[in-house]
Order: sequence, then structure tokens, then C-alpha cells
Amino acid sequence: MDTKELYHTASLARLELDEKEAEKLSREVSQMLEYFNHMLELDVSNLEPTTHALMKNNRLRRDVVAEQTVDPDEMLENAPDLEDRFVLIPNVL
Amino acid sequence: MNKELELWKGVLSDGTKKSKLEKYIKGWEEKIGSFLEIDLNRGAYDSNESGALAGIPFGVKDNIAVKGFKLTCGSKMLQTLVSPYSATVVSRLQQAGAQVIGKTNLDEFGMGSSTDNSALQQTNNPWDTERVAGGSSGGSAACVAAGLVPFALGTDTGGSVRQPASFCGIYGLKPTYGAASRYGLTAYASSLETPGILARTVATTKDVFDIIKGEDERDQSSLSYEAEGGQVKTIGYLKIEEGALNADVEASYKSSIKRLEDLEYTLVEVELPTMDYVVPAYYTIAMAEASANLARFNGIRYGYAPFMAENPNELMKKSRHEGFGDEVKLRILLGTYVLRSGFQDQFYVRSQKIRTAIRNDFEKLFTKVDSLVMPIFPTAAFHHGSSDLDSFQQKVADKYTCVANLAGLPALTIPSSVENGLPVGVQLMAPYFGEDRLFEIAVKAEEKYPAPQPEDFDLEWLS
Repeated sequence: MDTKELYHTASLARLELDEKEAEKLSREVSQMLEYFNHMLELDVSNLEPTTHALMKNNRLRRDVVAEQTVDPDEMLENAPDLEDRFVLIPNVL
Repeated sequence: MNKELELWKGVLSDGTKKSKLEKYIKGWEEKIGSFLEIDLNRGAYDSNESGALAGIPFGVKDNIAVKGFKLTCGSKMLQTLVSPYSATVVSRLQQAGAQVIGKTNLDEFGMGSSTDNSALQQTNNPWDTERVAGGSSGGSAACVAAGLVPFALGTDTGGSVRQPASFCGIYGLKPTYGAASRYGLTAYASSLETPGILARTVATTKDVFDIIKGEDERDQSSLSYEAEGGQVKTIGYLKIEEGALNADVEASYKSSIKRLEDLEYTLVEVELPTMDYVVPAYYTIAMAEASANLARFNGIRYGYAPFMAENPNELMKKSRHEGFGDEVKLRILLGTYVLRSGFQDQFYVRSQKIRTAIRNDFEKLFTKVDSLVMPIFPTAAFHHGSSDLDSFQQKVADKYTCVANLAGLPALTIPSSVENGLPVGVQLMAPYFGEDRLFEIAVKAEEKYPAPQPEDFDLEWLS
């Protein structure tokens, strides 16, 4: 994978890369992609894709409030920045 | 309840035994570093004191939520996160009386085969501290092998319970996909991973499995457990190409096959035609799912936040740049790439079709044999660093374990032999919900060949 592609993919994944990292990762990414290309040797024309090994039908539940197991205030305690009960982020505009 | 758990019962409610346990743990932890966080008291309140397993300690891999304990996933990203809830598998054990005493080390987010990818701590193998305990559930395997707890929970996405169990000389169960709830597991590759059990005896592995298994309304993919019975008569053993395994592992594999014959099973050689394509397919799927699952870590609601960021986009980028380790970044990048428009058919869809092919292979196989025996990893525990196996070679070496995840089948590591001072295991596999078949074979093998113990393993103080 060339550097331009690497940086574009990184940006899609919201990853910042420094130069040293980009060099190392580009080598490793290319090695893996080359390895992935082995899959092209196999004829898969008659096969359907499997998304989950075992999956029963979609499971439905009643549209009611579920038992609350997590205290929202306890969850908020893990936020890096809070104002009252709001999570703070830098200015959007 | 089995004899081993009977022995451990009440240890945490008996002051004398508890302080002996504390001392024993301290002695070992200086050498192996299996726990990231340990507290013999904190979990007491959440465990049912009249349960059958009351006062029995257990360890939990640090990508599984336990209320009141940290949930670091071995990452700088979540180094300070305290879990506000518990995973279903943990709650079920707590209801049965067992008590969490700590969170065990792992490769960051479960990505690795050595636990060396943990951003927080190094874990050493109890058999040789110069070597890794395996991974990604390396901490759970090491603490069980050293006798610090009778069992620990891990997760298995491509072999992460079975490989460290093999490296440390213990049992490691990867249940059928859906047999045990994933609620409370930090998602890495959702269609492949499952919670698993690490223990020193088959009986404890089975007793713990009986407690954690079954449908959970909080996990859409969990299934009600209906055991696939059936007596085991014929066991298939996978044909291995010459040179694919290290000499030690090959010798161990051969002696396992011989032992199963001695137990009067009929052994037949089998092949899995799709085997050569499983690792690329496995990594394509695992990385694609990882890139989506790890998108939630952005430094906003929880997790690592950078000191300064001008806008939300910069906040996310900096958080992920500074919070994630190299292996995690590599997998997110590859996963994002294979899911990009234009590349999906070449990689992701193709890998899912190969997944169908491997399932078909197994389906055919299980019409001829009742169970399978296979190697786990081409080597025994390797040295820290990448001098023995670099990170690419470690990935290629997932070949024998990741097939069970692609197909969703149950698999159990059983200790086989000790070669040149290091334990080596083999894995047994069975059809969906065929865990009983695995236990049946493993119990018979255990009678003659119980789990080996590392030097300094000493549970005299328990009795």
C-alpha cells in the first residue's frame, strides 16, 4: 500500500500517523494484504457468505423499559470532561 | 461440586487461609505478573455467600467487565476506566458464590498471541519466566497454572484461551459460539469471539461451564443450550504437513494420538481441504470487525483524552493516536481498508465465503468422526520479544486454533506432555454443542495424564 492510500485509510479510521509510524505500518499492512491475496486462489463461486457461525432468527422483546443495571451517574464518572451531567467536547465550530 | 472446588470453598471467608493465599499470590506475582489489578476483598459484596462456590476466588481477563474493577483491556486508552456493570458470565459465577479477586493481563484488546502487546505490564510463563504465557488470555492462563486461583475466565477470538492454556499446561475451553453470553465482553471481533474457561482440571472446567452457559436476553447471539450428546467412538486426527510443527510439538501431538488409541478410541487420519486459506480469511474478518468495534474509543464519553484538542475531530485523532498501541493501529487500518468501497468483494466477502467452505469441511468431517484432535500452535511457549517468532509469524501460527472460531465449534485444550521443560497441549473439537464429548474424552485422558505443575506450585496450605 502506498503512503497516500495509507494516510487516506488512517484518516477514515480517525487515526493520526506520524512519519515513523507510517513507515512501519505501511510495511506491515502491505505484508498482510499480500497474505490476504492468497484467498484469491480459492474458487468461491458457489459459496454463500457466512456472517455468523450460529444465528437463530432475529429475537424480539417487548417494547418496555428494561431492568436498569447501570447507574447513569456511575457511567458519567468515566468521562474525561464533564459540566454538570453533560459530557464536554471542544468547540465544534 | 468436584473435589478441587470443594478444597477451595470458603478460602476467602477463612481469615487464616485467606492470608496464606495472599502470601502465595504475592510470591508468584513477583515472578509472573499475571494480574493487572488484585483485591481479595472488593468482590465479596457482589458474591452470593450461600452459593455452592462461596469463598472460591477466580480471575477475570481484563477485557471482561466486573463492576467496581477496572476494565483496561491492556490498553493505555482505558487505563483508568472503572466498569459500572458486570458481564453476564461474571454475574452468573457470582450468583453461584464465586468471588472475583482480580483482573488478568492480556494483549491489548485481545490482539496478540503472547500478552506482550499489553501496554500496561509484562506477564511471564510460570514454567520459565523468560518466556511468554501465550495470549491473548496470558494472565488468566499464568495465574491458573501457578495455582493462584482454581479457574479464570478468558476470551477466545482466534485461539486466545486455548493457546495460552497449552503454553501453561492447563485446560482451556472455547465453547460453541452463542453457548455463553458475550454481554460485558469488550467487543473485538463479534462474530468470532466467545468467553472461555481456563482451569487445572476437567471437572472444574465443566462445572464452571455449566454455570456460565445458556441464553442471555442481553446478547442477541446467545442461544439456549441443548447438549449434543452421543458417545465418542471415532476421533479424527488432522494430517499435518512435514515441518509444520516444531519437533517438540510434533512429538507431543503424536503421543496424544497414541494415548487416545490406548484409551480404545478409533483414530482416523483426516484432512480439512480449506485449511490453507483459513488464516487470511480469519484475519480479514477479525480486522474488519475490529475496525468497526474499536470506533467507539474516541476519548469523548470515556477513555484516554489528549491534553489539548482544538476541535472534536482532533480530539478523536489524538486520543486514538496516543491511546492505541501499534498492533491495534495495524488491525484498525487493515480492517478499514478491507471494508472500503471497491475492496469489499476482494477481501471481506471472499473471506466470508471461505468461512462457509470451512464450515462445510467440518460438517462433512463430523459425519465420519465424533470428535477431532488437532495441534494448537506450532511451537511451545516462546521467548519474550520477537526473537523466536515475529508478529507476522505469530499470526500465521493461529492456523489450527482460528478454524474453530470461523466455524463456531467448541474446542478444548488438554495438557499433553512436557517437552524440554515446557508444557505442550493438544485440542479436541466436537460438533456444535458437543462440549460433553470433549469433557468425556478429556476426563479419560486426565486419569492417566493430569495437568503438569510448574516448579514452586504448592497448594499444601489449602488442606
